[in-house]
Amino acid sequence: MTPVLSVRDYTLDYLTGGAALRVLDGISLEVRPGEVLGLVGESGSGKSSLALAIMRHLPKNARETVGALRLGDLDLTAARPKELTRIRGRRIGMVFQDPSTSLNPTLTIGAQLTEVLRLHRGLDRAGAEAEALDLLGRVELNDPAAILKRYPHEISGGEKQRVVIAGAFGCRPEFLIFDEPTTALDVITGARILELFARLRAETGVAALYISHDLALVSRVADRVAVLKKGRLVEEASAADIFVRPKHPDTKALVDAVPRPERRLVGDRSSDEVLLSVERIEVTYGRKKLFRPAPKPSTRAVGFEVRRGEILGVVGESGSGKSSIARALTGLVDYTGAIRLDGRPIAGAAAMDRDYRRAVQIVFQHPDSSLNPRQRVGEILSRPLKLFGGDLAEIPKLLERVRLPAAYAERWPHQLSGGEKQRVAIARAFAARPALVVCDEITAPLDVSVQAQIIELLLDLRRHTGTAYLFITHDLNLVRQIAHRVAVMRRGELFDLLAVDELGGDHVHPYTRALIAASPIPVG
Amino acid sequence: MTDLVGRLLRTPQGAIGCTLILLLAVACVAGPWIAPKDPEAIDFLGRFRPIGAENWLGADQLGRDVFSRLLVGARSTVPMALAATLLGTVVGAVVGTTSAHLGGRLDEAIMRTIDAVMAVPGLLLALLLVGTLGNGSGNAVIAIAVAFAPGMARVTRSVALAVRNQEYVKAAVARGEGGAWIVFREMLPNVMAPVVIEATIRVAFAVMLFATLSFLGLGAQPPSPEWGLMVAEARQYVHQAPWVLIAPSLAIALTAIAFNLVGDGLRDALNPRHER
Repeated sequence: MTPVLSVRDYTLDYLTGGAALRVLDGISLEVRPGEVLGLVGESGSGKSSLALAIMRHLPKNARETVGALRLGDLDLTAARPKELTRIRGRRIGMVFQDPSTSLNPTLTIGAQLTEVLRLHRGLDRAGAEAEALDLLGRVELNDPAAILKRYPHEISGGEKQRVVIAGAFGCRPEFLIFDEPTTALDVITGARILELFARLRAETGVAALYISHDLALVSRVADRVAVLKKGRLVEEASAADIFVRPKHPDTKALVDAVPRPERRLVGDRSSDEVLLSVERIEVTYGRKKLFRPAPKPSTRAVGFEVRRGEILGVVGESGSGKSSIARALTGLVDYTGAIRLDGRPIAGAAAMDRDYRRAVQIVFQHPDSSLNPRQRVGEILSRPLKLFGGDLAEIPKLLERVRLPAAYAERWPHQLSGGEKQRVAIARAFAARPALVVCDEITAPLDVSVQAQIIELLLDLRRHTGTAYLFITHDLNLVRQIAHRVAVMRRGELFDLLAVDELGGDHVHPYTRALIAASPIPVG
Repeated sequence: MTDLVGRLLRTPQGAIGCTLILLLAVACVAGPWIAPKDPEAIDFLGRFRPIGAENWLGADQLGRDVFSRLLVGARSTVPMALAATLLGTVVGAVVGTTSAHLGGRLDEAIMRTIDAVMAVPGLLLALLLVGTLGNGSGNAVIAIAVAFAPGMARVTRSVALAVRNQEYVKAAVARGEGGAWIVFREMLPNVMAPVVIEATIRVAFAVMLFATLSFLGLGAQPPSPEWGLMVAEARQYVHQAPWVLIAPSLAIALTAIAFNLVGDGLRDALNPRHER
């Protein structure tokens, strides 16, 4: 049986500043009819470059040295632009990561969907509209007729991704590429998209390449899994096997890095002494304008306590108000309600004095934007030392504690990798000798292996300093590994606040149960 | 700093722009000594003499050598335009960044005031100021700087609004840094690139504004060889002797191009990402 897609000894270079950077090195893989091949790798492993190469959408500085890409019996590397326009969409479909940018914001959903159908399926206007209605029904959207008339900003992210998937399947391609289709969505929506994908695949029998950095997720949707590392294919095995019996050390490392709720990383119990208490806190963005009602608060009367040395996990989907809590605690937005640190009341952002600001530090989500690009690492670390009374000679020691060489003090942020930048941000927080560090999704943009290292570093720092963490994340499995207690938020409200071992119990909120069900727990 | 110049010279735009600016600088510093003729020597037999060996760029309506006048005039044109732009840029950048940092009602108040100032055309504002302060180059510099500052403040603010949302600025706020540190050390260095580019473009406008002020009798006075004044004077003889008009116009254009090229080169060189 001829494979739908075959990649043989494919090697790809990017020319940067005169030098050739090898992104794919002798890749050989096949996707057979009706099969889903999962492609897993860290960022920079070349998985997206392979997708672009198959779509023939490579940047100008790309050089294909050797190897072949074949779709059925057609050589893709030799295809002319005119042939390619007939192949793209019609024979190969693609679903991108971010649904909010893959639809044109100025056209209605109907216009975009029918255009694709008329172009690739040769339907007339009426036929295309009927088909679009049918397709939207098949991707389980409520009221397809209304959706067709809407603009992309009028529907949610999950609905947008369903529309994109409907368009991709609607052209009846032989082969589909999914490039991390659930990464930009929250956990529950992502789980539903995966269910949809499994059903559509069973119905249509399409072959697919499913790209993701999440090995746990891929092993659930794919038949076989290929692992990429720095442009090389290190292992290829069936999805059932790869998790249980990884052969290559790089695969083993990837498997080990996947957070598993049953493997606790924190053994101790936190003390009962309350460090920080938050009572009925409300954060409101924007201000009341003339003739317009005051905006609704993003968090509604949220209250909790953080104990000394405790790791309190805060989970919730995007827009649940968890970051607003982080901003209120660090004085980035004003709030109503009460915050008490060691029993001392803090009335508002303006009332936060130096002591409070020293005691409560924050590490942000994006390592790229959390360090000033015009300051060297040494200068970045020197500010909290100067403000909160420290010795500048501590900088090498600080770097050492986050396991970076002392010579990094002379570096610029752009010379560091994402994980290294996050370490510098952690060092900056710990330079103030804080009692509580707010971690706002700090591992979300990092690879699983880097995430595991950062988590290990945080736990190590906690052992030495006794710092408490408010650990905000959407990854429930990760929180169940490290947190003492877990707070579940949704739409600005605190739904649940439980000790981590009570999460499986009977009295948890139904939403918490749905969250647990939607978090893919690795098999094996 | 030498590092920056090196990187600037490695870009083609930077190299050409720097060469042109170097030529301008030579003209500004040593113009009167290298000029082949006296810029004010009147030669009635040589009126409107075309470009040739005697007058390299021809002669004007009074037989004065255009090339010599250009060389000498560089001194009264380029440094003044530069100073005015620099002053306007610094004031505008600081006001724009501060406004973005403060946000809320204060930001509204500052920006609406700036809008009101911008509603008055730049030339009119400059005229008004020179009229109030009195004639003279120094006052003209101040007038042009004031005319430029609102525009620069708007450009800077739009960039600074994006920078304000960066997490390193939030980190500084969370740390309890003072406003001055946040504006000058965290935000300003990161808004400089577009501001520098905008400023280099405005140098050309400043040259023209100076010329206009001179033309209206509020800046340089005849027989000064100020470039804008030369263009204004040559206007009426354009059919008899187009070179008298073209030569100073080209000089102004080249100055503008030179600063634009350097601006482009600086944008690349200032970006620390290209350092690797």
